[in-house]
Amino acid sequence: MEILKAKNLSKQFGKFKAVDNVSLSLQEGEILGLLGPNGAGKTTTIQMLLGVLTPSKGEVFYFGKNLKNHREEILEEVNFSSTYTNLPWDLTVWENLHFISYLYQIENRKKRVEEMLELFKLKELQKHPIKELSAGQVTRLNVAKAFINFPKVLLLDEPTASLDPDVAGYIREFILEERKKFKVSIVFTSHNMAEVEELCDRVIFINRGKIVADDTPENLAKTIEVCHIELLVKQKEKLISYCKNNQLNFRQEGKHIIVDVKEKLIAEFLRNLTANAIEYDEISIEKPTLEDYFIQNAPKL
Amino acid sequence: MKLHRIWGVILRYNYLFKHSLDRQVDAFYWPTVDLVLWGLTSSYLAEKAANIPFAVLMVISGLVLWIILWRGQYEFTVNILEDMWNKNLVNMFSSPLKLSEWIAAFVLLGIVKSAVSVSFAAGVAFVLYKANLFAFGFKLLPFLFLLLMTGWWVGLFVGGLIVRFGGKVQNFAWSMVFLIAPFSAIYYPLAALPVWAQKVAMFIPSSYLFEGARQVILTGVVNGKMLLIALILNLIFTIFALLFFRASFKKVLDRGLVKLY
Repeated sequence: MEILKAKNLSKQFGKFKAVDNVSLSLQEGEILGLLGPNGAGKTTTIQMLLGVLTPSKGEVFYFGKNLKNHREEILEEVNFSSTYTNLPWDLTVWENLHFISYLYQIENRKKRVEEMLELFKLKELQKHPIKELSAGQVTRLNVAKAFINFPKVLLLDEPTASLDPDVAGYIREFILEERKKFKVSIVFTSHNMAEVEELCDRVIFINRGKIVADDTPENLAKTIEVCHIELLVKQKEKLISYCKNNQLNFRQEGKHIIVDVKEKLIAEFLRNLTANAIEYDEISIEKPTLEDYFIQNAPKL
Repeated sequence: MKLHRIWGVILRYNYLFKHSLDRQVDAFYWPTVDLVLWGLTSSYLAEKAANIPFAVLMVISGLVLWIILWRGQYEFTVNILEDMWNKNLVNMFSSPLKLSEWIAAFVLLGIVKSAVSVSFAAGVAFVLYKANLFAFGFKLLPFLFLLLMTGWWVGLFVGGLIVRFGGKVQNFAWSMVFLIAPFSAIYYPLAALPVWAQKVAMFIPSSYLFEGARQVILTGVVNGKMLLIALILNLIFTIFALLFFRASFKKVLDRGLVKLY
């Protein structure tokens, strides 16, 4: 079932086209990653999907209904978390969640606020004004706020930014659990590619306001032919010289040298090492990832 | 309109009031300072010029009534600014909250906080100068309500400017309302104004209200005609201010609420 559909969205600020004819859809229970370099148009797209920015062209539909005409009904089922907005910093954690809970139709608001405090480990901080919290604690509060109204659609703009790895992992698990339990559909942006690979069923790659790819993280990674071969060699200089002579990309990381080799040429590369008497003590081969796709495509797109 | 959402907005600003010394100072400190300063000045003048009857009462009542108008607009302008500074508007308007519910919350906050501020100021006036404004009872009530209404349209208009132009015009939140003060004849009779200013005052509803309230205080007579003119002018200005506020909000949605600061 199609939960969210954006048709030909465009946004022009003066002469600058921030988003150019973007169409996307989100299925029930799907997690869609929105990727792209800084300034690509991801946040602008999310703002239009939320109704806090009017598109210059195009329409947004949730549950088959136009956001423009059914705003109140739709936003009851939608929520978001973003690094670009704040909750009022003079208010305590509890007060923030409490007043936000009244903006939605929620039964037993106090109980829901307590649940959110427990779930996001904010109980001990509930009486603190948010200006006293760390960046990570504020991010946790923002995510708690996003889940407060049992949303069917969530728009998460870098929800794990500035979180410690263990807390980020907890949030990711929570998101997956909520998706499993309530079939929440999620649009997700992050600069952490491993996170996107772990969470997202599908990824849309945006650059200069345009969609340039729309596929699963695995398929996008597969478009990259180059693998990374990590070697621990005794004769470092010999390997470096071999790479230079054969125009192979390489980098040094501590005692290891990582060489980029096309997947189909790995066997030949290893044979050549032997032929050139370059011995290695350790070897590991890393398949291309979404990060490789991002690095390869972002700068030149 | 949903009452729970209006209540949510009221909660947000009440929590702010609880934590913000700035907002508390605005509510209690400045009215007290004004009353002490102007009350003492008018007491001195009354001693020197005995031919001005009820000089102290006129000044004190003018001050207390001005608080209502000022408070009515303040709840719009300063609360909008607070949400702009906090980058909280996206949280509010990505929820089902409607513009009309936001405005309704400001109106209700204006009523409650005006009542609190005026009661406080009237109490201070009684303690310091034995000026008992409560003695006029219900006769002053329509004037109080219409002054609050004047505050609402001023607040909507200035709020619209803030929403449209952002922090560049944030000083208007405190200062713009004083543009109508000289023409409102707060402390002096309308006849004391120069002719050109009297012509301007004809279009300012608060001029009829302060004049009418003074009449009640000095003679006990309620001037219905003045009330009616003030009501009509208030209704006209409120409609225009609402349209302007709505247009400003639409305009900021074209730029993006995130960019309002």
